[in-house]
Amino acid sequence: MSALIIDDVAVSRGAGPVIQGVSFTLEQGRVTALVGPNGAGKTSLLDGISGVAPISAGTIRLDGTPIERLSRVARAKQGIVHIEQGRAVFPSLTVRENLSLTARTPAEVDAALARFPELEKRIDAPTALLSGGEQQMVVLARAFAARPRFLLIDEMSLGLAPVVFMRLLPIVSEIAEQGVGVLLVEQFTHLALGLASEALVVASGQVSFQGPAATLREDASLLHRAYLGGAPA
Amino acid sequence: MLQGALAGLAAGGLYAVLAVCLTLMSRLVRVVNFSQAATGMFGGFVAVWLVTETGLPIWLGSVLGVLLAGVLSGVIGWIAATWLSEADTTTRSAMTVGPLLLLISLSFILFGNKPQPFASIISGPAFTLGGVVISQVTLVTVSLAIVVAVAVRILLTRTAIGTRLRALSERPTTAELLGIPSKPLSIAVWVVTGVISAIAIVVVAPTQSNDAISLAMLIVPAAAAALLGGFKRLDLAVVGGLVLGVLSGLVAQIDEVALIRNFLPFLFIVVLLLWTQRKEVWDAAR
Amino acid sequence: MPHADAGLARSRALRLAWPIGVAVVGVVAGYLLSIGLSGYFVFLAVSAVTAAIAILGLGIVTGSAGMIALCQLTFAAVGAWVVSLFNVLEVPGGFVVWLIAGGLAAGVVGILVGLPALRLRGVNLAVVTLGFAAAFDVTLLQIQFPGSKDGIPVLRPEGFSTDRGYFFFSIIVLAVCGLVVFWLQRGRWGSSWKAVAFSERGTASVGQSVQQAKLTAFAVSAALGGISGGLLAGQVQLPFASSFTPLQSLALYVLAVMSGAYLIDMAIFGGILWVLVPELLKRWGVPQDWGFVIFGALGVQALTSGTNLGQGIRNLWWKRADRRAAAAREAAKADAAAHPAVVEPPVEASVPTLPTSAPRPASGEPALSVTGLTVRFGALKALDEVSLEVPAGSVMGLIGPNGAGKSTFVDAISGFLPQASGAVRLGGTTLGRMSPTKRARLGLRRTFQQDRVPPALTVDAYVRFVARRRVTAEEVAEVLDFFGCPPARTRLAGVDVGTRRLVEVAANVLARPRVLLLDEPAAGLSHEEHLELGARLREVPARYGMAIVLIEHDLDLVRTVCSTLTVLDFGRVLASGPQDEVLADPAVIKAYMGETEML
Repeated sequence: MSALIIDDVAVSRGAGPVIQGVSFTLEQGRVTALVGPNGAGKTSLLDGISGVAPISAGTIRLDGTPIERLSRVARAKQGIVHIEQGRAVFPSLTVRENLSLTARTPAEVDAALARFPELEKRIDAPTALLSGGEQQMVVLARAFAARPRFLLIDEMSLGLAPVVFMRLLPIVSEIAEQGVGVLLVEQFTHLALGLASEALVVASGQVSFQGPAATLREDASLLHRAYLGGAPA
Repeated sequence: MLQGALAGLAAGGLYAVLAVCLTLMSRLVRVVNFSQAATGMFGGFVAVWLVTETGLPIWLGSVLGVLLAGVLSGVIGWIAATWLSEADTTTRSAMTVGPLLLLISLSFILFGNKPQPFASIISGPAFTLGGVVISQVTLVTVSLAIVVAVAVRILLTRTAIGTRLRALSERPTTAELLGIPSKPLSIAVWVVTGVISAIAIVVVAPTQSNDAISLAMLIVPAAAAALLGGFKRLDLAVVGGLVLGVLSGLVAQIDEVALIRNFLPFLFIVVLLLWTQRKEVWDAAR
Repeated sequence: MPHADAGLARSRALRLAWPIGVAVVGVVAGYLLSIGLSGYFVFLAVSAVTAAIAILGLGIVTGSAGMIALCQLTFAAVGAWVVSLFNVLEVPGGFVVWLIAGGLAAGVVGILVGLPALRLRGVNLAVVTLGFAAAFDVTLLQIQFPGSKDGIPVLRPEGFSTDRGYFFFSIIVLAVCGLVVFWLQRGRWGSSWKAVAFSERGTASVGQSVQQAKLTAFAVSAALGGISGGLLAGQVQLPFASSFTPLQSLALYVLAVMSGAYLIDMAIFGGILWVLVPELLKRWGVPQDWGFVIFGALGVQALTSGTNLGQGIRNLWWKRADRRAAAAREAAKADAAAHPAVVEPPVEASVPTLPTSAPRPASGEPALSVTGLTVRFGALKALDEVSLEVPAGSVMGLIGPNGAGKSTFVDAISGFLPQASGAVRLGGTTLGRMSPTKRARLGLRRTFQQDRVPPALTVDAYVRFVARRRVTAEEVAEVLDFFGCPPARTRLAGVDVGTRRLVEVAANVLARPRVLLLDEPAAGLSHEEHLELGARLREVPARYGMAIVLIEHDLDLVRTVCSTLTVLDFGRVLASGPQDEVLADPAVIKAYMGETEML
């Protein structure tokens, strides 16, 4: 069982740190929800973990080995897959081509497709022509085919109808059950907390709550305080 | 008249090959490579030097020169991929002005600023069509342009590596997050286009003005041709190159408009830009 | 406060006088050099001056405006050609008039060449200018300079006909060019160049035409090229095409980039390098072509690192100055703490606090009315028949989940989405298909979620640029103070993104638009700053007279600041009206089941 350990990490953009002092551990097979108001630095943190942006302080260790200096390609090869905000499909590539980027064999493409029967009939259509929900399915299927150890998901719900989003959420649980450590950034706070075992709330660039997701689910005022920032609860 | 137009076709084929390379670079590695022709020129000059000074056979000298051009292009690509991987197209393209200047000046130092005694690899007429002679060089460059464009298209749409290249060109960051190695792939694109450009230049150079400046500045008609396809479409790039070649061949026949010949690629660029910018477009990024 | 006023007047006079002072000192130094240097060096020095003027021009187009221009010496050739022609025709007025005519002619050619490339971004200008350089070079070889066949030398200006005299003359020309560039860079044009280099959308959204900004940069740059060429014609008296090759244009471009030629001193330094490097190589017996090889390599280094010599030196200097200023502030603070009797400035008293009551909706005709606004991106309808009204003198909140179409709404209203259909009326005017620039000039301003504040400007220059009207230093200070921005002389490059966006809001308020659209102005601010901004925005309509549309996520803030609310969900208006009604709407609560319910 491997773990991804984030230790006192800060990510800076331009003049100063956007988010700092973040420490937590992602374990395989569990979902951790990362919530907080817009502009709190959630995306920057994900960027720091996957290598899109360099971290300005702290360490990230995968099975005890520091990885914060590795390129994003190297981190991806170590099994850290980052699903960016929006629908990160390659628009001119067909569904099959999108999946073949991560799948090693045609069988793996089929295995990834098995979770999304909706995609089968669109398999040779350029993903640009798919609906928003279908595109997000392609992104999830592609990530699944990459056989990640850790999956960072940034605002999957962005611009999706709630119905579609509800269809996608259980898949995240399934992926986690197969032994993937999931870090889920989500604006629909209570949906994310319903899925997660652990939770982190960030506000104004700092962690304002850290603990079991159930604690936040049960005490709405705690979440409210954490959102408004200030001292860690 | 027809003879003039067809005489321009050999140059047109060269423009077309370079335009295909430019288009490929623009699409896949986000750069307008101003040194595209200069690397080929330098490789060609080295080939000439190898043949005349060291007595290598023409084919071997040419192969070595072409390979050198590929390496040079790869080095520029390595610089772009290492330090300018996140930079915008303008900055990446501006960087290639440096190697353009450097390669021309270096060739002055090493080979002088006179035309080079290129030995023809291919020469002589291929066939006669309606009383007009088509040279072998024309045949080779035009077919090279078409073959390269078709081959590139097949590579991009039918192969795994092509899929990866397209993915990288559309969303470089996303592609890297999926573990697609951007740096080696983009350097490979630089090397391959460097090699293709050099082959075209070595084939056509014996029949053209072949001093360092003339060859390096082939980038201008090539860019004009690539602009016809908006630096995106390979087929239009080929058409643009051939049309531009034929037009200059025609214009060269008429003494009254000989001055225009110099400005033909420039006018071609201006007209295309005026056409493509009819509508105002706001770039999402800026 | 007569004392303060006198101080202000003195500082203004000083601001006006010091560049002239520097120019005068430069001219005097030039005169001393012209009598002190040996004849050979005087000739070289004229070459350095002509190169410096050409590089000064490149500094504007490549350094300030961020475009690639590869035909500077072609413009120089145009200038030289006109000077030679006027010389042959014996046009009255003498060399000075010819030189100015040469500069103007080059400027016109610059406009003609630049025109096709202006609307498209990126490297098109580079392609056009390289094409022009190549074509003109060949043509020049064929047509030659007027008078060169008959060997008619260009007459130098009277009183400056010796080499020494001509060097002194060239120094005067350089000083004049330097002064003009200095004032242009400080003025509206200069601000527009630096703005367009950073963000075209940002430039257009403050009512500055993007094309005009690029065209003025290109024309001024070409005119300086022409003057440089004209000066060279007077220096050599029989100019040849070989002085103006495309290769030299490329080298000049690279030199301008690596020296940081938008800084006037660095342009002059670049001119010196232009002459010095080949001269040194010649003395060391190295082929002079190595000079361009070196330039090429250093240019790649400068372009890959994104830095240049001049900026590097200035950054070091500024860092030191900032440290000293910070130390002085600390000392002053300690001083104030030690003497608590010192009265705090009354500014703090004006900082408003958030009231608990909801603001009342204003009445009267709407400042902005939108009907049936629809935007499609391919199959996706980002906005679907959106209709709403913003009452004059009110703050309307625009809320909705991420991806609901709020930013698309702002983009469409401000004219950045020409494919939008529907009717937008600003006061009594229908906006139709107007460009963003026109809309901004009519009094519709917006801010951006991304940072679009050009870092090359000072706060003062930026605020005045955005305001687009004559504003006094007091007005600038007042609005900056009101929003808690750093003082006017601060460089934006040294300010964090959150504060930069605050400056953006303050500057747009100072522009006194009818309607100001604020796209998440508080993102990047701390929670306290966030609340403070909200309290200030609430006062803006009464204090500065405008309506505000505020996109905001913090519902607490929306509740206290906005009199009316519009909720967007999947591109449709879910509810719109007075805020208490809207927030009580069950449909709104349902749509907000995510964060709202929790908050």
